[in-house]
Amino acid sequence: MTFAFQSYFLRRANCPGSTPGPRINKMSENNSTQKTTAKERISRFHDKYYKHLLIIPLLIFILSIIYMSTFYINNGDFIHKDISLTGGTTITIFSEINADELRTALSSKLESLSVREISDFITGEQKAVVIETKTESAEAKKILEDYLGFSLDKKNSSIEFTGAVLSRGFFNQLLLAVIIAFSLMGWVIFLIFGKSAKIKMLTGALVLINTFLSFGVFNQSIAIISSLVVLFFTLGVYFFYSIPSIAIILSAFADIFMTLVVLNLFGMQMSTAGIVALLMLIGYSVDTDILLTNKVLKNREESLNKNIFSSFKTGITMTLTAILSISVALLIVSSFSAVLTKIFAVILIGLGFDIINTWITNVSIIKWYVLKKGY
Amino acid sequence: MSFKFTWRIWMFLIIIFFSLIAIFGLPPVAFQNGILVKGVEKNSSAFEAGFREGQIITHLDGNKINDGDSLHNYLSSKYTDNSSKVTLFTTRNSEIVYFSNELPAVVFSEIPSTKMKFGLDIVGGARALVKAENKELSSEEAQDLISMTETRFNEFGLTDMKVRQVSDLEGKNYMLIEIAGATPKDLEDLISKQGKFEAKIGNETVFEGGLDKDIASVCRRDASCAYIEQCNKVENGFFCTFKFGVTLSGDAAKRHASITRNLDVNTTSQGRYLSLPLDLYLDDVLVDSLLISEGLKGVETTQIQISGSATGDAKATAIQSAEEEMNKLQTILITGSLPFKLEIVKLDSISPALGKDFLRIILIAGLASLGVVALIIFARYRKIKTSLALLLTSFSEIIVILGIASFINWNLDLPSIAGILIVVGTGIDQQIILIDESKKKVTLTLSQKLKRAFAIIIGAYFTGVVAMLPLLWAGAGLLKGFAFTSIIGITAGVLVTRPAFTDMIRKMEE
Repeated sequence: MTFAFQSYFLRRANCPGSTPGPRINKMSENNSTQKTTAKERISRFHDKYYKHLLIIPLLIFILSIIYMSTFYINNGDFIHKDISLTGGTTITIFSEINADELRTALSSKLESLSVREISDFITGEQKAVVIETKTESAEAKKILEDYLGFSLDKKNSSIEFTGAVLSRGFFNQLLLAVIIAFSLMGWVIFLIFGKSAKIKMLTGALVLINTFLSFGVFNQSIAIISSLVVLFFTLGVYFFYSIPSIAIILSAFADIFMTLVVLNLFGMQMSTAGIVALLMLIGYSVDTDILLTNKVLKNREESLNKNIFSSFKTGITMTLTAILSISVALLIVSSFSAVLTKIFAVILIGLGFDIINTWITNVSIIKWYVLKKGY
Repeated sequence: MSFKFTWRIWMFLIIIFFSLIAIFGLPPVAFQNGILVKGVEKNSSAFEAGFREGQIITHLDGNKINDGDSLHNYLSSKYTDNSSKVTLFTTRNSEIVYFSNELPAVVFSEIPSTKMKFGLDIVGGARALVKAENKELSSEEAQDLISMTETRFNEFGLTDMKVRQVSDLEGKNYMLIEIAGATPKDLEDLISKQGKFEAKIGNETVFEGGLDKDIASVCRRDASCAYIEQCNKVENGFFCTFKFGVTLSGDAAKRHASITRNLDVNTTSQGRYLSLPLDLYLDDVLVDSLLISEGLKGVETTQIQISGSATGDAKATAIQSAEEEMNKLQTILITGSLPFKLEIVKLDSISPALGKDFLRIILIAGLASLGVVALIIFARYRKIKTSLALLLTSFSEIIVILGIASFINWNLDLPSIAGILIVVGTGIDQQIILIDESKKKVTLTLSQKLKRAFAIIIGAYFTGVVAMLPLLWAGAGLLKGFAFTSIIGITAGVLVTRPAFTDMIRKMEE
């Protein structure tokens, strides 16, 4: 195949001398020949080194695991949880209050205090200040009122209080939701790209029954354990029956895992909104992987590299469009809504990793697989 | 070039049309003049004068009225001194003559410009998540608690409220109460007092609900002791009667006997009853009166039966309203005697101060991101028509989601809005796949190419949906909005807007 391309290239190169024509034509022909060679060179490079490329995501992955382990040893948890997951009080006061002064004045009185200003993106004018603390709401309100010198009511403030027990419940439920969502996603992927109908039905029954039991019958800790067992068992089955499915699931997992590492690195706290964003990321990040795998496995009229390249062109347009538009949205809401900021930030980081994990991890694995099986 | 509409494009247009009607109303509510009655205090002079929730006041003393401020100014300047005055309120189809020395106890508001309902985090109010202390609520107990709370809140004249049962992944049941415009203190007070129920004859209390349990049990959901007795055809409709049993404690039975012993018996057209009725009070407000039959006079019995009736146009509606009436009475009788204490696990007060700003910021953010998308798509494909079709499709997906949300009265809260954003994101991704696949230079026909693209999209669709499903239960249902809008949105996308977009592309490529 490489040979065919070269001969085509040679014939092309001979053309300009034999057929005189307007100069502008020649230029464009020259350009297109160069493009072909560039493409060709990339293609040849990729053919040679695609397995080596896997080192990049593997390295990031190993570093992430090391980082997470040390993080866990130091903090006793895999993430920094904010008060939506630990319980506490959020008070929003609608007036111009200096956040720094308030923080210094009250950090000894209010437990795990965090203060942030909310301002209008367009005018830059401060609209409110948000105070988060683990201190119980009535007490926190009183301390704030003493400091501010006016009383807080419905007109000048919002107060949200979540009990610690409920928050812990929230976190465990959302964790369960992430595990189950992941396991359902994995099964759908296997359904599309896997082989044996019997295995599809068996794993499907397992995943669905576990989902049902976890939602209605099991208590929380049993549900989490059983869901993890089902997840790992089905992943093992997929590994034997469909490497392409495993490649997709692996890169989706890598997206989530690496995103968590970055959140921890920047000291960003995880909230209920953040976990919701992780769920979105599960759905979002597999889109490009499905596109790639579908083309490579089902579009045999084209060469492997051409399939990979054309899905890359589509996929990268998708991801970059999403990244750019979410960045713009993030910029606008960042000073305003903590919930949306967290959601957008998590998705943005995740999409960044998705570029690596789809176009290096997934591409290399599926190329390896397809070439080994004979394209 | 003549652009031919395929059935998919027609279906798309029809659905958009109905969504717009669902959002804006027909005729559009924004064009309606007048002031909306949002709430009326029960048993107030305004209620007796005929004010009801949902009425639209168009004229005040014959003058056209359009904004809340002028209505407020007019009324407050009129009712300054304590003398009684008459004000004539004209609604769409009736006139209310209000005669009093004080302002009517009515909450007025301007007519909203759309039929969309927004969540508490946007309009402001109070929200509480309630569970039983040291006890898991069964689904039935939660339902009892909810109907009790609703009845009580209704008696308080709180109308803009939502009480519903939520349960989490573990199957634990909670009661979620949201009241627009209330303070958390109001809500806490309302919840902490379970509600007081008293039954009086004249001025004497016969029995009350609560810890000492004058009412041992009320028969509900048991066809042997709570049932629709009979239905008869009457002039213009049907008339149904219901009956249910109540078991009293021995003390209450004694009190009942001694109080009724001295009452006279009146003969009415419906039968012979005691001269004074049994008045039911909820939190000191009279909510119902029952006639006491002659047979109960001076009798000491723990088993009493309560009957009542309701009418309806058809037999089914008569039965339904009789059941509702029975339910209401049963709920009143059990008030104050729940076998558990309540615990508030989450209490939020949300100020409406930022709500409007919030919607504006979201709108700007949404438009800006769509603008960026349009630019990228145009830069990549150099085709104005394709870029426009893509924008149009994304925009129409938002309309469909909002339409469905308005149609089923879904409260658009923050999670729901985040869900809409994600729908737009995935929608654009899938449309990019469609454009690219349709342009590929292989020997397949255009239809085959698009079919292939759709296979990818369906795959992406199902992974998206299953990832969202667990959220319908997790987090005590507080994040349901997110799952709801995103699932509705991507489903509408795959079923309606994307097929239409495919056809548009096909027409453009041909």
